[in-house]
Amino acid sequence: MLTKLFNRWKKKDPVIERNHAYFKEFNQERPLASYEFVVFDSELTGLNPKRDEIVSMGAVRIRDFRIVVSETYHQFVKPAKPLPKDSTLIHRITPEQIESAPKIEQVLKDFIEFCDGALIVGHYIDLDMAFINKVCSKQLGAPLGNPCIDTLRLAQVYREEKWGNYYDQFDYKVSFNLADLTKEYGLPEFPQHDALQDALQTAYLFLFLTKKLKQGGITTLKDLYLAGRSWRWLF
Amino acid sequence: MTREKKGKDVHSVTPEVVVDFLKKTIPFHQLPKDTLDKIAKEVTIDFFPEGTIIFKQQETVVEHLYIIQKGGVKIYLKDEEGMVTLKDFRGEGSYIGALPMIHGATANLNVETVEDTFCFLLPKETFLKLINEQAGFAQFYLKSFSDKFIRTAYAELRHHKVAPRTEGALYLFSVTVKDLIKREPITIQASQTVQKAAIEMARHHIGSLLVRDEQDEIIGIITDKDLRNKVVAKARPYNTAVSDVMSSPVATIDSDTICFDALLYMMRNRIHHLGLKKGKKVIGVITSHDIMVLQGSSPIYLFREIVAQNRIEDIYPLAKKIPLIVRTLIEEGAKANNITRMITILNDHILSRILFLLESKFGAPPLPYCWLLMGSEGRKEQTFKTDQDNALIFQDPENQEQGRACSEYFARFAAEAVEHLEKCGYSKCPGEIMASNPKWCQPYSSWQQTFDGWILKPEPKEILHSTIFFDFRPGYGTFDLGFRLRDHLSATIPQQEIFLFHLAKDCLEARPPLTFFRNFIVEKDGEHRNSLDIKKRGLVPFVDFARLFALKFGLKETNTVRRLEALHEQEHISKELFSETVEAYEFQMQLRFIHQLRCMEEGREPDNYIRPSDLTDIEKQTLKEAFGVINRLHSVIKETFPMI
Repeated sequence: MLTKLFNRWKKKDPVIERNHAYFKEFNQERPLASYEFVVFDSELTGLNPKRDEIVSMGAVRIRDFRIVVSETYHQFVKPAKPLPKDSTLIHRITPEQIESAPKIEQVLKDFIEFCDGALIVGHYIDLDMAFINKVCSKQLGAPLGNPCIDTLRLAQVYREEKWGNYYDQFDYKVSFNLADLTKEYGLPEFPQHDALQDALQTAYLFLFLTKKLKQGGITTLKDLYLAGRSWRWLF
Repeated sequence: MTREKKGKDVHSVTPEVVVDFLKKTIPFHQLPKDTLDKIAKEVTIDFFPEGTIIFKQQETVVEHLYIIQKGGVKIYLKDEEGMVTLKDFRGEGSYIGALPMIHGATANLNVETVEDTFCFLLPKETFLKLINEQAGFAQFYLKSFSDKFIRTAYAELRHHKVAPRTEGALYLFSVTVKDLIKREPITIQASQTVQKAAIEMARHHIGSLLVRDEQDEIIGIITDKDLRNKVVAKARPYNTAVSDVMSSPVATIDSDTICFDALLYMMRNRIHHLGLKKGKKVIGVITSHDIMVLQGSSPIYLFREIVAQNRIEDIYPLAKKIPLIVRTLIEEGAKANNITRMITILNDHILSRILFLLESKFGAPPLPYCWLLMGSEGRKEQTFKTDQDNALIFQDPENQEQGRACSEYFARFAAEAVEHLEKCGYSKCPGEIMASNPKWCQPYSSWQQTFDGWILKPEPKEILHSTIFFDFRPGYGTFDLGFRLRDHLSATIPQQEIFLFHLAKDCLEARPPLTFFRNFIVEKDGEHRNSLDIKKRGLVPFVDFARLFALKFGLKETNTVRRLEALHEQEHISKELFSETVEAYEFQMQLRFIHQLRCMEEGREPDNYIRPSDLTDIEKQTLKEAFGVINRLHSVIKETFPMI
């Protein structure tokens, strides 16, 4: 019994093996358009990865550095615990809607395959990845190997670049909320709090920031990495 | 490619964003839902920061149709010497790249973003397939702006903005018959002759008389038709007694009956005249015609009514019916140009009738005169709300005495005319540009001096205030006086370069009401916050342009569209510019009409403030295209007057 558990702990699922293999020798010097990105957003029952769960996942692909609107992933997920009332108010997913939805374990592999070979982009992506990786580790033996890019971090860098003024850093009114950034930059707006719409909104933000940073000087993935220097790569 | 496959499996949803957008974009809006869904799946979204060159002329191989979701681009041509000619601006909902793909050539122009721009990219094969298979697609992309939006936009305007045709009917249900009474009933003794009856009817310009007996009781009615059918056609003598041919008893209804019931009653009984009773007393007579006029369905009724009035007071209510007629015209699909012409004719008739009746009141004028109409009246471009802009010109007096007589006569005459016009609903000019102002009631030679003063020694500020004078036309009286003045102007102005220069400079003051493309410039504060003054921002630049060029080339037209036509006929402006300008101008006029009609139906004073948020996307887009034409007009002005 114990051995079996240990083995499972130790042995990685082939899906996650393949996922990791792709990024083993990862060349960051190619032009951005040659990479694939998956822009990901999830709706959660709360903000604590230890306690809370995913209720829906949305993702859209970027290829040739263009949003491919037909390659999307959208999945409601039934959490193990019943849906707390207050979260319904935020994302408008009702208990009925997820009643018939599969559990996260059933759809995880699909999602990983959708992300195969792509960099994962999200707004405050650490949070979403913490939830995903918790399940990945538990079920498949390891977290995802996809490098991640945080649009929130990009937005911070862009703001610093745009307003070099030191006192601006103390402007507590500055918001990095996805909806506020969308408004501030004049991006097309979508309804909030549907995981897929939010992923699409984030994809617009990602294209915008990447091309606006360094006056358009970002051409390779490495450039992007250097521009955001301090962000964490989730290897 | 497992990923490729994955992307298109169960998780692939119809991209709502794209479908929703295309549904509102010409010509995709006409595609059936399943075609639209299919196309939407082919779309990718790209982003171009401000200043990105998307197409380079003769270089870029265009692989997609670019539909602008947000932002804007400029299109320009660069010649060998590097000279740049701006060709067009395109904004949200517009496209680029169609022509090169259709022609299988490289980009023929340069396209550069002037804002951060998101585009939907539709692959070439899909686009070409649409061109080949969908009716109207090829036509749309190959035609110029003139025809492009106009039809769809007009159809939308009619469809969305004019409530179903109930207004006429509403009047029938709300107005009582006593409101239609114009005068005390005219009666005649039953024993009088039919000839006397005919004389009475002619004297009062009416079609019927009530017939009374010795006790003054109303016992019947005699009408035009009775005289025709029962007297003349039957060759009865003129001294036949009225009682022999009258209809008796006269059909009556209570004066509080609503018009609809009265009309039904008349139709049921096949009669055209009804006596209206208050208690036992007959207080008036109405005809089916009165009710039809009320319905406002036909301009010809109103026209006849105006001409038939003998008392100025009776003209007031007729003038107020003009909006009803305009409404009918709009419903029937008339374009702004026809509507303004109709309004002009009706207004002119009202003016003529008032002045004619005033002349008979004051006695013949000491010298021939001409009533001049200026501003929008002069250009024959009136809408519902028309301020008075008028002046009076009279023949030069031969001596002082005659001069005094003229001044005195015309001052009284004009003052009264202006009052009557006001009561007809033409509010007074806030700037006092009216014939009642002695400054604008002058003999011919003074007028010529005034104009010469503006033309020969132009002061920029005065030009600003005098532009509406240059749109004058004769409205009533001895037209020759007006024509002579016009001849003088068209002979003088073309040589007056400084005057034209100031006028041109003034034209360029007006900025098109778009901040690039993102939004319309709207009023920032006050009562009309977030609305757009379509007259000032949209129409005036067109009017100014037409005036400037008409004056420069000595044309005598005053109407904006007619001026443009004349300019085009004499090859001063290109055919493309001409048709674009006229379409853009007329579309805005139409929008303004419908807006004003709505104002009136909501019980507000008609104004020129349009809320962009009230417009449908196609209207917005068309309006933006129309404003885009202003830029082109301005570049023509700059080319023609290079020293500005």
